[in-house]
Amino acid sequence: MDADILELKNVSVNFETHEGLFSAVKNISLSVKRNQSIGIIGESGCGKSTLSFSIMRYLAHNAILEGSIIFKGEDLSTKSEKELESYRGNRLAMVFQNPYSSLNPALTIGFQLDEVGIKHQRLTKSRARRASIKALKMMNIGDAEGIVLRYPHQVSGGIQQRICIAMAILCRPDLMILDEPTTALDVTTEAVILDTINELREKLKMSLIYISHDMGVINKVAEHIVVMYNGEIVEKGPKHTIFDSPKHPYTRALINCMPRKGVVKEESRLNTIKGYVRQRGAFEEGCPFAPRCEKKSATCEKMYGLKAVGVDHLAACERAYATDVSQSNKITGNRAYHFNKTNIETRELLNIKNLHKIYPGKRKTYALNGVDLKVDSRSVVGVVGESGCGKTTLGNLIVGLYKPTDGTILFDNTDISKVWKKRSFKTLKDIQLIFQNPGRSLNPSKSVQQIIGRPMKSLNGIKSSKERRTLILELLKKVDLGSEYLNKKSSQLSGGEQQRVAIARALSINPELIVCDEPTSALDVSVQAAVLNLLNDLQVETNIAYLFISHDLNVINYISDYVIVLYGGKVCEYGKKSEIMSKPSHPYTSALLSAVSEVDPKKQKKVIKLGKKLNDPAKKPKGCPFAGRCHKQVGNICVTKYPPQHNVSETHFYNCHIPLN
Amino acid sequence: MSNIIEIILKRVGTLFATLLIMSFIIFILVEIMPGDVAQMILGQSATEESLAALREVKGLNEPLLTRYWKWISQAVQGDLGESLYMKGVAINSILWRRVGHSLVLAATAFLIFVPLSIFFGVLAGVREKKFSDSLISFFGLATMALPEFVSGILLITVFAVKLDVLPIVSVIPIGETLWQNLNILILPALSITFVMFGYVSRMQRSSVINVMNSDYIRSAILKGMSKRYVIFRHALKNALLPTITIIGMNMGWLFGGLVVVETLFGYPGMGSLLMTAIRTRDLPLIQACVLLITVIYSHSTMITDILYNYLNPLIRFEGEGV
Amino acid sequence: MSYILFQLKRNPLAILGICILILWIIIAIVGPSLVPFSYTEMDSMNQLVPMGTDGHVLGTDNLGRDILARIVYGSRSILSVALLTSILSTVLGVIIGFSAGYFKTIIDTIFLRAMDIIMSIPPLVLSLVVLGILGDSTIFSLTLIVSVAFIPATAKVARGVLLTEKNQEYVMSARIRGENHLYIMFIEILPNTMGSIIVEATARFAYSIMMVASLGFLGVGMQPPTPDWGMMVIENKPVISQAPWAVLFPALAIASLVIAVSIFSDFISKVLINGR
Repeated sequence: MDADILELKNVSVNFETHEGLFSAVKNISLSVKRNQSIGIIGESGCGKSTLSFSIMRYLAHNAILEGSIIFKGEDLSTKSEKELESYRGNRLAMVFQNPYSSLNPALTIGFQLDEVGIKHQRLTKSRARRASIKALKMMNIGDAEGIVLRYPHQVSGGIQQRICIAMAILCRPDLMILDEPTTALDVTTEAVILDTINELREKLKMSLIYISHDMGVINKVAEHIVVMYNGEIVEKGPKHTIFDSPKHPYTRALINCMPRKGVVKEESRLNTIKGYVRQRGAFEEGCPFAPRCEKKSATCEKMYGLKAVGVDHLAACERAYATDVSQSNKITGNRAYHFNKTNIETRELLNIKNLHKIYPGKRKTYALNGVDLKVDSRSVVGVVGESGCGKTTLGNLIVGLYKPTDGTILFDNTDISKVWKKRSFKTLKDIQLIFQNPGRSLNPSKSVQQIIGRPMKSLNGIKSSKERRTLILELLKKVDLGSEYLNKKSSQLSGGEQQRVAIARALSINPELIVCDEPTSALDVSVQAAVLNLLNDLQVETNIAYLFISHDLNVINYISDYVIVLYGGKVCEYGKKSEIMSKPSHPYTSALLSAVSEVDPKKQKKVIKLGKKLNDPAKKPKGCPFAGRCHKQVGNICVTKYPPQHNVSETHFYNCHIPLN
Repeated sequence: MSNIIEIILKRVGTLFATLLIMSFIIFILVEIMPGDVAQMILGQSATEESLAALREVKGLNEPLLTRYWKWISQAVQGDLGESLYMKGVAINSILWRRVGHSLVLAATAFLIFVPLSIFFGVLAGVREKKFSDSLISFFGLATMALPEFVSGILLITVFAVKLDVLPIVSVIPIGETLWQNLNILILPALSITFVMFGYVSRMQRSSVINVMNSDYIRSAILKGMSKRYVIFRHALKNALLPTITIIGMNMGWLFGGLVVVETLFGYPGMGSLLMTAIRTRDLPLIQACVLLITVIYSHSTMITDILYNYLNPLIRFEGEGV
Repeated sequence: MSYILFQLKRNPLAILGICILILWIIIAIVGPSLVPFSYTEMDSMNQLVPMGTDGHVLGTDNLGRDILARIVYGSRSILSVALLTSILSTVLGVIIGFSAGYFKTIIDTIFLRAMDIIMSIPPLVLSLVVLGILGDSTIFSLTLIVSVAFIPATAKVARGVLLTEKNQEYVMSARIRGENHLYIMFIEILPNTMGSIIVEATARFAYSIMMVASLGFLGVGMQPPTPDWGMMVIENKPVISQAPWAVLFPALAIASLVIAVSIFSDFISKVLINGR
C-alpha cells in the first residue's frame, strides 16, 4: 500500500493584524502519497503559498497555525526550530518563484550547493562539491564545473532556477514543494524545466506539490489537482476528472476563463467571474465563493465541507452541477462574438519598414534588427516572442519612447520615426500605450478622475472640468466601473480595476491605435478574461486597432487577427492567426507552439527540444538569429546568411533557409 | 580583475581632478575675503609706501592665476608657505607635527567606534523587536544626536571634574611627545566616537534587518541551515557591505568632529591649528590647513569607495549571462 | 490620521520626543517674555553663582548673566536658523537633485562632479572657514552657508528618489502623452517622493541644530549680544571645575533639543516610509 508521505489534517493559518484576525488558510485536509504529484491551483489570495510555507513551518510572527502536519508519521506542527532543521532541505525541500532573489548574491553558487550536503549528509567539502556538480549535471546544465565557481548574477534566469532545483534535490527529499517556479521564465525554458522535473521525479521517486495559477503547467507535472479559493479547498481530484466534470462553480468558472487552443474571439467570449476576492475574517462561515457565485443558495452561506462526488473526486458543492455534465468543460460562449468586418473599409494604419534599434552603452544591445510590419485599422496584430526578442522595443518605438536607429515608421502615411518630444499632438493622441504592470502605470498619488482627465485636458484641449467629468463617467461605464471610482486613488484599486482605468485613460482621447504591452500578464486568470473581453468589446464599438504584445500564445491565439513572431530582433513568421496556429512554418514557431501548455489534460504534446546556444544581443547580428538553437538547422548557411522570405500564402510568410514543400 | 583596475584608475583620476579644482576654490575663497593682506602684516600704522613695497615683495600684485600656481606647485612639493601671523615662520614646521597628532586621534576614534558600532548594530538587528534591540537603538539615537562638544562636556564633567581620573585639557607638556602622554587621547577620542557610533550602528542595524527579510535568507533557512549559521555565513556578508559606504560617507563628520574636539580639549592637532589661524586671520595657514584636511578626507572617501567596489561581487564580477 | 495615532501608541518614546520638541518651540515663542532677567544684564555681584541664588534659577555665567534667560533667548535663534536651513537646503536640494536625475545627460555628470567637489571638504570645516573669514555671522549668513554645505547631501537623496520613480511606467505614460519636463518632474513625480523628502528634511533639521551649535562653539555663531548656546559653552569652559553648571545647562539644552528632533525624525520616517 502506498504510504502517505504527507497528511494535512484541518490545517488553518490565521494572521493577527491591527485590523483584526484574518484567515489565510482554513481547514485544509490533504494527503500526498509516495511518488504522487499534486498540483495546487488558485488565483492570488487563495492561500496556496501560505499553505506551502506552513508545511515548511515558515510563517510570519503574527501567524497562528492550527491543525496537524504529519510527515512520514511525525507531526511537524509540534516540532521546534532545531528539530525542523533536519527536515528542511533534507526530506522536505522547496523551490520558489523568483530564482534570482532566492540565491545569495554574495556567495558562490558552489558554496550554496555544497552547504546542503555538508549539513545534512555530513559530507566533506570535496565530496559535497562532487555531489553538487552531479546534481547540476542532472539538471542538464552544461559546464557544471565552471558554474559552481561563479556568482548567481553571472548566469541566466533559467539556469538560476535549475540551480535552485538542484539544491532542492541534493538530498533526495521525499517531498518537494514548488511554488510557481517557472512563472518568471520564458515558455521554451519553462517547457524544458518541466520536462526535467518529470524526469527527476521518476528517477528519484519523489512526491511533488506543484503550485501554479496555470492549469496547463500543472497538467504537465501533476496527476491530481487541488483547487483553492480564498484559503479553502473547493475541489480536488484527478486532473482529467477535474477538467471534464468540475463540480464546484468556482472550478468550472476558472477553467472556462482560460484561453486555450481552439477558443477564439470570433466564436466565443471568455467566461468571467463577477466580483473580487476579499480578505476573510477568521470566524466567517460558509462557502468562501458564495458572494460571487451565480448558483448560490441560502445554505451556502452557512454550511461548507468537502463531499465525495466521484471516484477519488471531492468537491465542496455537489448541488450545482451534479446533472450538468455535458456542458461543464466547454466555453459556452455566453454570447458569440460577431465581427462584421466585411462591409467596413479598412485602411493601412501603421507601416513599419526595416526598423532597427541599437541601445548604446558600454555594451551595445542590438534590440531590433530590421523588422517590417503592417497594421490595418480595426485589426488586432499579435506580437509574440520570448524575452529579448525585441517585442517591447517595438512597442516603445511605435509610441515614441525612443528614436529608431534606422528604418521608418509610417502612421497614416506620416513619418513618425521620432521621439515623443518631436511628435505632433495629433500623433500623440492617435497612438496610446497600455502597460504590463497596471499598478505602476498609474500615478499612485493621483485619483482616477485626474488620471483619466489629464489626457483630455492636455491633448484634447477640453478645458471645462464639468465637460471632462461627464466624459470620464461615460468612459468608466464603458470599462465597467461605477461613479464611486472617480475619487479613488489608484493605490486603492485591485489589479483588474487598475488596468481598466488604464484602458479608460487610453480611450479618453480616441486613439486610432493602442499598443498593448503584455496587458494581462500580471493579472489573475479570471481578471485577464474580463480584460480581454473588454478589449474586444471596445474594439468593435470604436474601430481601434491593437498591437497586442504578449509571450502567452493562448492569449494571442484568442485575441489576434494577425500574428507576427519575433526572435532576436527579427521577424520569423507573419500571417493570419488561423494560418500561423494551424500551419506554423518557421522552426521557432513550431517549437513555441509545442512548448505552450494545454489546459485540457488530454491534449498533451511532445515538446520540441531546442539547442542551448542563445544569440548574443551585444553582437551585430549575422545570419539567422535562431540558428544556434534551431532543431532543424540546415547547415552553415544558417549562421552566415540571413534567410530569404518564403510566402506560404498571400498573407502568410516566413524567413528560413528551409523552403516550402 | 580588470574591472577593479579600471575602477581604481577612474577613482584616482576623479580624486586628482577634484583636488585640483578644490585647491583652486580654497585659494580663491580665502583670497576674495575682505581684508588686505599687506595691512594685516604691517598693522594699521603702516605707510602707503611700505605697504606697496611689501606687496611687491610678497608678489601680491601678480594676477590670481599666477599666485595660485605658485602656491599649489610649492604645496605639492611639501612647502606650504609662510605664516602671516607668526611673521615669517614656515608653516611646515608647525603643521606636520599637528597633522600627525590629528591622525593619531582620528585613528584612535576609528578603532574604537568601528568594531563597536558593527557589533552592536548587528546584535540589535538580529534581535529585532527584543529588549536588547530597543536599548541599543535608543542609545544609538541619543548618541547620534549629541554634537561632539556636548558629549565632550559631559565626559569631562564626569571623568575629569567629578571623578578626576582623566585630564580636563589634552595638552602635551612642552618637551614631551604624544606617546608619553597617551591618556590625553581618551576623552577626545570618546567624544568623537559617540556620534559616529550612533549613526553607524543604526545603519548597520537596518541593513541587518533588511538582509534578514530577504528571499535568500528564507531559502537558506528552508534548506535546513541553523539560524546561527545563516546569520554568520549568509547574512553578515551582505549586511556589512553597505556599512563600508556608510562609514565612508560619515568621514566628513569625523573630520569636522576633530576640529571641535581638539578645540574643546586643547589638543594640539590640525583642527585647533585651523581655529587659531581663523582667529588670527592667518590666510596662508588657513589655506594650508583646509587644503590638507581636504586632501586627507578625499583620500579616505576614495579608499572606502574602492574597497566597496572590490568587496561587492556584483560589481567585481560583471554579469555575463550564460 | 488614525494610522499616526496607532504608531504613536506603539512608540511611547516618540511621544516623549515630540512633547519635548513642542516644549522648546513654546519656549522659543513665549519664553523671552516670561523670564525675569534680560539676557544681557550683567550682575557683577553674582558672577558664576550656582542655581537658585538670588532668583537665578540656573545660576549665572562668567559675566553675571542669567543662564536661564540666555538659554531661553538662545532657543529662538537656533531654532530659526535650523528651520530655515532645513527648508532651504531641502528645497534647493530637490530642485538640483531632480534636475540632475531627470535629465540624465551632461547635467547629471556636472552635478555629480560638483557635488563631489563640495563634498570633499567636511561641511563643518567649510562653514567654519567661510564664516570665520567673513566675520560677523547673522541668521542670514549662517542659514545660507550651512545650507550650501548641506545641499550636496539633500540633492543626492532627491536624485536617488527621482531615479527610482523615473523608470516607473506612469512616467513613461506621461511622456508619450507629450507632457513637458517640468510637469513630469513636479506634478507627476514629486507627490510620490514627498515621504522620503519630508523625512530627509526633518533629518536635516536635526543636523542643522548640531551644526549651528558646533559653529557657535567654535566662535562663529551668532554674535553678541544674541546668546548662542554653543558660544555659551566655550565661554564658560575655562571655569568648568568651579562652575560646571554654566557649561552643562547650555550643553543639556542642545542635547535635549537635538535628541527630541531626532526622535521626531525617526518617527516620521516610520510613519511615512513604512506606512504605505
